[in-house]
Amino acid sequence: MMSNNGVNFAPFWHNGPAPGSFYNFPQNNIKSNSAIDEYGFQRNGGPITTGTSIVGVKYDKGVIIAGDKLVSYGNLARYHNVDRVFKINENIILGMSGDYADFQFIKQYIDEIILSDFSADDRIVLKPKDLYTWLTRVLYNRRSRFNPLWLDMVVGGMQGEEPFLGHINIRGRSYTNDVISTGYGTHLALPLLREYSEKGPLNEETAQQLIQKSMEVLFYRDCRGYPKYSQANINANGVTVSDHEVKQNWDLALSIKGY
Amino acid sequence: MSIMAYNGGCVVAMKGKECVAIATDLRFGLQAQTIDTNFEKVFPVNKHMYLGLAGLQTDIITVYKRLMFRKNLYEIRENRVMQPERFAAMLSSFLYEHRFGPYFIEPVIAGLDPKTFKPFICNMDLIGCANMPDDFVVAGTCEEQLFGMCETLWRENMEPDDLFETISQAMLNAFDRDAISGWGAKVYIIEKDKVTIRKLKTRMD
Amino acid sequence: MLGINQFPEYQVPGAVQHQFNPYENNGGSIVAIAGDNFAVIGADTRLSAGYNIFTRNHSKLFQLTSSAVLASCGNWCDSDTLTSILQTRVRQYSDTHENKEISLNAIAQLLSTMMYGRRFFPYYVSNILAGIYEGKGYVYSYDPIGHCERHTYRAGGSSSALLQPILDNQIGLKNMEEKPTIPLTVDRAVKLVTDTFISAAERDIYTGDGVKISIITENGVEERQIPLRKD
Repeated sequence: MMSNNGVNFAPFWHNGPAPGSFYNFPQNNIKSNSAIDEYGFQRNGGPITTGTSIVGVKYDKGVIIAGDKLVSYGNLARYHNVDRVFKINENIILGMSGDYADFQFIKQYIDEIILSDFSADDRIVLKPKDLYTWLTRVLYNRRSRFNPLWLDMVVGGMQGEEPFLGHINIRGRSYTNDVISTGYGTHLALPLLREYSEKGPLNEETAQQLIQKSMEVLFYRDCRGYPKYSQANINANGVTVSDHEVKQNWDLALSIKGY
Repeated sequence: MSIMAYNGGCVVAMKGKECVAIATDLRFGLQAQTIDTNFEKVFPVNKHMYLGLAGLQTDIITVYKRLMFRKNLYEIRENRVMQPERFAAMLSSFLYEHRFGPYFIEPVIAGLDPKTFKPFICNMDLIGCANMPDDFVVAGTCEEQLFGMCETLWRENMEPDDLFETISQAMLNAFDRDAISGWGAKVYIIEKDKVTIRKLKTRMD
Repeated sequence: MLGINQFPEYQVPGAVQHQFNPYENNGGSIVAIAGDNFAVIGADTRLSAGYNIFTRNHSKLFQLTSSAVLASCGNWCDSDTLTSILQTRVRQYSDTHENKEISLNAIAQLLSTMMYGRRFFPYYVSNILAGIYEGKGYVYSYDPIGHCERHTYRAGGSSSALLQPILDNQIGLKNMEEKPTIPLTVDRAVKLVTDTFISAAERDIYTGDGVKISIITENGVEERQIPLRKD
């Protein structure tokens, strides 16, 4: 219902009414959220080794996708030099966030598809929309079997002459847009990207600057962020995947007092 | 099932040009069972002010009576008529006194200032968070329907006749899409020299 | 949500319990009006979840034939799946019937059957189908498990409660003693759909950005887009 805007406020007191929502008389005791109960261990099926935000921007002649090189294990910064942005073929680039093991699993299948597509040698090459639709179906079918792939992916590329940028989440919910971000990027990078993209098509240079700024903001503010990031740029000239690093400046830290 | 929707019912108030209107439905029920079809949820406070209360019926009566007690005490002590703004502030603090054991009501106030006759409308949540907009306020189980109707029908500076038609159509069509509101309605049009009260016949199902 | 707690006989030691929620509310509102010889159907263009807006230009309208348009909103991944399967079935029909287009009432029944096929793991969507059949305008609305009903006007989605009473009043002419005799023309229907969406965008955070309207007449389908508030 719209009356509470989708937010569940905490009840006034234990089992009491919550503002803006319907009150339930305490008839059934709500089960505690403990992981172990009389029926054994409750698997939550959540992500384990994770990659954080991916940022994607479409510009007039191409697409850039960027993501940092960290793969975390909970709060632990576990792997420091892992690529999360990939060139799939001459037409497609892909960025992943979410569970890295789930991604490695699906990447094998993507590579198989690319190999068989290459082997066909029929001058028909897989395009970004094809991969985007395929991933949507795979993730939707996995969520429908209650065994989801814990992934948030951004697909970019050249659909013929046209740049393409799409997002697929864990449930197989997919959409295309001019700017896309996952994870913390939706809160930190998207407002920045939208401010520019809504004024009209970006050129490659501004897109590049926006990505750089987004990765900087994400590094400073996302606890699972990392200064080293990789980015893939695709346009009519082909794909370039390159490594970058946020230029850090901690001068400000000296003036912060009172914590 | 929410305690706020246990008895059903709704209230709406609107501003017009030098006038305000407030309307209530007439149903009182216990969940889906209708008990009474003549239960008014709008009460007179003074000459130019009415109070509408939607929510749990027992709390509606209690809040109204406790509020009148406080308001009468104020008017006797100060020897003047209470302004709607003061009344709203009093109601708000009264409700917040019960922050951790609230009365399950959502109040709506409509009135004219006793001296300047400036229109005033206000609604609150069950713990007294007040909202005083320039157009209309709604409360009750068909709140969403009322928002849709009022947002479409309401215009600035309506004359009393126009305001009556608008608030009536808003209320009637809204509660016809709610199973636990309706069964007749009563509309009050408050002008500086008179209050017009009309009872509306509606579908009774 | 329906879970193992509703089936105590299955709560045996060792039974695997998942707590992944396969549903997500992506919002969106849809409205359709049937006229004598036309149908108008509109949907907002926002895709959101919680306080996030994913995109402001996202069509919830699906043209199935030259005389049928479906609007679908709710859980977007379910809408996406359901509509693409439906589009395949519509295509299959014409491929196996000498390129004859499937009729509107046949789509209406097909959609109901498809949705009921997922009775115990429903597509969490609100659907409205609009179009013309034998020259007359029709609107069908659905619940998530395939209940199908014919109407002359219908609102669905996150703002359905806000929009439906307006249609009752303005098209159904409910609660009026002297019924005005304004004919329901295409222009009036389009204007009404636009106005209802403007009202809904004021109060519902899941509705906004723009509204896409399809006008279905004997000459085919015409599309229009009107901007809404973007906050």
